[in-house]
Amino acid sequence: MASKSRWADTEEDAALEAKKKREKEEKKRLKAEKAQKAEAERRAQAEAEAAAKQRAAQEQQQRLEPPDDNIPPTKRRKITPEQDDQEKDGTTENESSAKLLRFEAGGWGKSRSVENYDKLNDIEEGAYGWVARAKEIKTGKVVALKRLKFDPNDASGLPETGLREIQILKDCSHRNIVSLREVVVGDDTSRIENIFLVLEFLEHDLMSVLGDMPEPFLASEVKTLLLQLASGVAYLHDHWVLHRDLKTSNLLLNNRGQLKIADFGMARYVGDPPPPKLTQLVVTLWYRAPELLLGAKTYGAAVDMWSVGCIFGELLTREPLLQGKNEVDELAKIFELCGIPTDESWPGFRRLPNARHLRLPKSSGTNTGPIIRARFPLLTAAGSALLSSLLSLNPDRRPTAKEMLDHEFFRQDPKPKHEAMFPTFPSKAGQERRRRRSTPNAPGRGQKAADLGTMDFSGLFASREKEERGGGFSLRMV
Amino acid sequence: MAHMTNPLATVDQLYQRTSFSALPSDLQDAIFFTTQCLTQAAGILLRIPQSVTAQANVILARYWLVESPLAHEFSDTSAAALFLVAKLSAHPCPPRDVCNVYAYLLSPSSVLFKSGSSDKGGGVEDKDKGDPSSYYLSESAYASFRARILALEARILYSLSFDTHVALPHPLAITYLQALDFLDLPRAEIARRVVAYLNTALLSPQLLYLTHQPHALAVAAIYAAARDAGAKMPACAWWEVFDVDREELGFLVVGMRSLEGWVRAQREGEDGVLSAKANGMVTRAYVEGEMRKRGLRIGNGSAGDEMEDEEMALMRQMDEKASQLEG
Ligand SMILES: Nc1ncnc2c1ncn2[C@@H]1O[C@H](COP(=O)(O)OP(=O)(O)OP(=O)(O)O)[C@@H](O)[C@H]1O
Ligand SMILES: [Mg+2]
Repeated sequence: MASKSRWADTEEDAALEAKKKREKEEKKRLKAEKAQKAEAERRAQAEAEAAAKQRAAQEQQQRLEPPDDNIPPTKRRKITPEQDDQEKDGTTENESSAKLLRFEAGGWGKSRSVENYDKLNDIEEGAYGWVARAKEIKTGKVVALKRLKFDPNDASGLPETGLREIQILKDCSHRNIVSLREVVVGDDTSRIENIFLVLEFLEHDLMSVLGDMPEPFLASEVKTLLLQLASGVAYLHDHWVLHRDLKTSNLLLNNRGQLKIADFGMARYVGDPPPPKLTQLVVTLWYRAPELLLGAKTYGAAVDMWSVGCIFGELLTREPLLQGKNEVDELAKIFELCGIPTDESWPGFRRLPNARHLRLPKSSGTNTGPIIRARFPLLTAAGSALLSSLLSLNPDRRPTAKEMLDHEFFRQDPKPKHEAMFPTFPSKAGQERRRRRSTPNAPGRGQKAADLGTMDFSGLFASREKEERGGGFSLRMV
Repeated sequence: MAHMTNPLATVDQLYQRTSFSALPSDLQDAIFFTTQCLTQAAGILLRIPQSVTAQANVILARYWLVESPLAHEFSDTSAAALFLVAKLSAHPCPPRDVCNVYAYLLSPSSVLFKSGSSDKGGGVEDKDKGDPSSYYLSESAYASFRARILALEARILYSLSFDTHVALPHPLAITYLQALDFLDLPRAEIARRVVAYLNTALLSPQLLYLTHQPHALAVAAIYAAARDAGAKMPACAWWEVFDVDREELGFLVVGMRSLEGWVRAQREGEDGVLSAKANGMVTRAYVEGEMRKRGLRIGNGSAGDEMEDEEMALMRQMDEKASQLEG
C-alpha cells in the first residue's frame, strides 16, 4: 500500500508505484467483473433499502418526541402549531400558494484522495509553498494543486492561516476570484499529513507576464486588468474579507484575458468595526500601506486599496513601484513618491506606534503632495488622479473598490479592452520551467513586527530640489 | 457566499447514523447529549464566547454523521472540535489550556454530570471534591492528550472536507424579534427564552442544526418562546414572512420543546443513561460495557478498523461477493 504520498517521492519511486498500481488495477478489474454479476441483485436490494432509509431517517428525528405534548403530534408533519387560531382566517388555503424562499446548500463528507489527480509539472516550489499543474484522472480536467504548508510537529496543529484560506475560498464565488474545487488529502488517511487545495488552473500570474513583456500593457489593457482587480476586491470587501497580500504574483491571468485574485494565505474575515488586534505583519513589503508600516493595529479595507495602487503603478512600468530594502526604506520610498504626511492630510498619524520616532523634514508646498504626474508622464489626468488617490497616505482618503469601479478613468478613451481581445502570453505555469521568486516574501507566521526605531527622513526632500540638476540624494537612517 | 445557510445532512447520513456500530439509539443519544454538554462547559471555563462554542457543537455533530462516535473517546472529540473552531475564531485557545480544562471537567472534582448532593452509588467522596491533584495533568499525559487532539483536529477537517462554515440562528432570531412585536411582553424576556431554546437545541440528539436552516430554527425558537411566555402572536401566518412553512415550524417547535422531558426521563428513570448509576461523563468504556451487557457486538468504527483503508475494504467486499457467487 502506498503509505507515503506519491507527490513526495522521487521519479523512480513514482515509476515503481505506477507499476504496482497497474497490477493492482488489473486485479481489481478481474474482481470487479465477477462482482458485476452480483450488481443487478444488489441494486434491487438497494432500492428496497433506500425506502427503509427514508423511514429510518424520519424516525430518527422523531424518536425524542414525547407522546403527549400539547402541540399535535407531527408524525405526518402536516400540523399547524396553532391550529385553532389560524384555520379561521384561511391561512390553510393560502399556505400552498405562499411562495417561500428555499435555501439550497450542499452537504458534507470526507475529502477525496490526491491520487485522483496526476501531476503534470511543478509551477512553483518556493521556500514555503508548492504549487503544481495536475490533471484529474477521471475527467482530464487540468487544475492547480497547492499544498497546504504546515509543520506536522507544530504544537498548535494545523495553521489557522491555511484553514482560513480554505474557508474563505470555499465561501467565495466570483469571476475574479480563483475558485477552489475541493480539498484533497494524501492517500494514507490514518494520518492526515498532506493536504492540497485543488484550484482552477490559470496559465499565468501577472508578475511573470510583466517580467516577460517586451512592451508594457496598453492603457486599454491596464484598464481591463484594473477593473477586474477592483471588482474582485469589491466582492471581498463586501463580504468582510481582507486579502492582505495583494501583489502581482498573487494575481492570476488566463489566456482569455481574465484576471483572478489568488493566494488567500493572509486573508481573514473582519467585522465592522474591525477587530482591535489585527497583526501588522501582513502584505509583502513593497505593497504594504503606510499605516501598517507605522504600526497601526486597527486597519481596514484601505490596506488592500493601497496594494491596488502599487499594482496599478506596476502595470504601467512593469516594475514594482516601491521597492524598499526594509521597512524604513519602504517608508522613505513612499514619502518620496507621495509626499510627507501632515496633520491636515492625515490627522492622527502621529499617534501611530512607529510615528513617534519619525523625524520628517519641515513640510512645505513642494514636499507634501504626490509626484505621481511627474513619475507617470504618459498617464492621463484622470489616471493619475485615480493612482494618487489610491496612494493617499491617509487610509480614509483612499477610494473604496466600489468607488474605484466608477472612476472617470475607466470611462475615458481609450476604453477598457474587451477581455477576449487580450493578447496571449507563453505560459510558464503550463510548461516544465520553474520560476524564481523576485519579490520579497509575505511576512511569515510568528515573526515579530519591526520596531522601526528612530527614523530620520529630514534629508529626504533634498532630492526633489536637486532633481532638476540630476543630483542624487542620501537618506539617513539613525 | 452562503453566509446565512448551512450544509444539511443527507438522508443517507441520517440513516447511516442509525446503523453505526449497531449502537443502540438510547446510548447514541446519551453520548451526543453528554458530549455536547461537555463542550459547552469547556467553552465556559475557557471563556470562549457562546457563538464560538455553539459552532463547535455543530461541527462535532456533523463529524459524527461521517465517522462513528465510537472511533475515538468522546471527550477527545469534544476537545478537538472546540480547539479547532476556537482557532479559526477571534478567540483561539492554546492546546494546554484546552487540555487542562478537559482534565478538570473529567476529574472526580468536577460537578458536571454529577447529580446534585444525593450520592447514591459510585459518587465521589466529599474530600475528593476540589482536590487539585485529581485533575493535575502530568507532562506526559498532556503530551498524549495534545497528540490525540491534534490528530482528531485533522481527522474532523478531513471528514468535513475542510468546510468549517457554520451559520448560527442566534443573530437572525434577534433580528426577526426586532421586526415582530409581541406588544404585551418585554422583548428582552422573549429574547432570553429564544436564545435558551436555540442553545438547548444544540445539545439535542435530534440534530436539528443539521437538518434545518438557521432561519427556520430562529423562527421556531421565537414561536416556542412566545408561547411559553404567553405572548400574543400576530394572527397571520407570520412565519411565512421569514420563509418558513407551518409544517417545518411545527416539527421544530415540537423538537425544541421535547428535549427537557427527555433529559428528565434519562436522569430520573431507573435505567436512564444519565441516571446517577452512569455517574459522570459517558465514556467509550461505559458504552462498550453497556453493549456487552446487552449482548451486542461492538462493530465497525472502533479505532482498529481505521487502519484498514477503503481500497482494502473494497477488495474484501468484492472477494466476499465473488465467493458468494461461486459458492
Ligand atoms: N490556480 C493557479 N493556477 C496557476 N498557477 C497558480 C495557481 N495558483 C497559484 N499558482 C502559481 O503559484 C504561485 C504561488 O501560489 P500562491 O501565491 O497561491 O502560494 P503562496 O502561498 O504564495 O506560496 P509561496 O509561499 O511559495 O509564495 C503563484 O504565484 C502562481 O504562479
Ligand atoms: Mg503568493
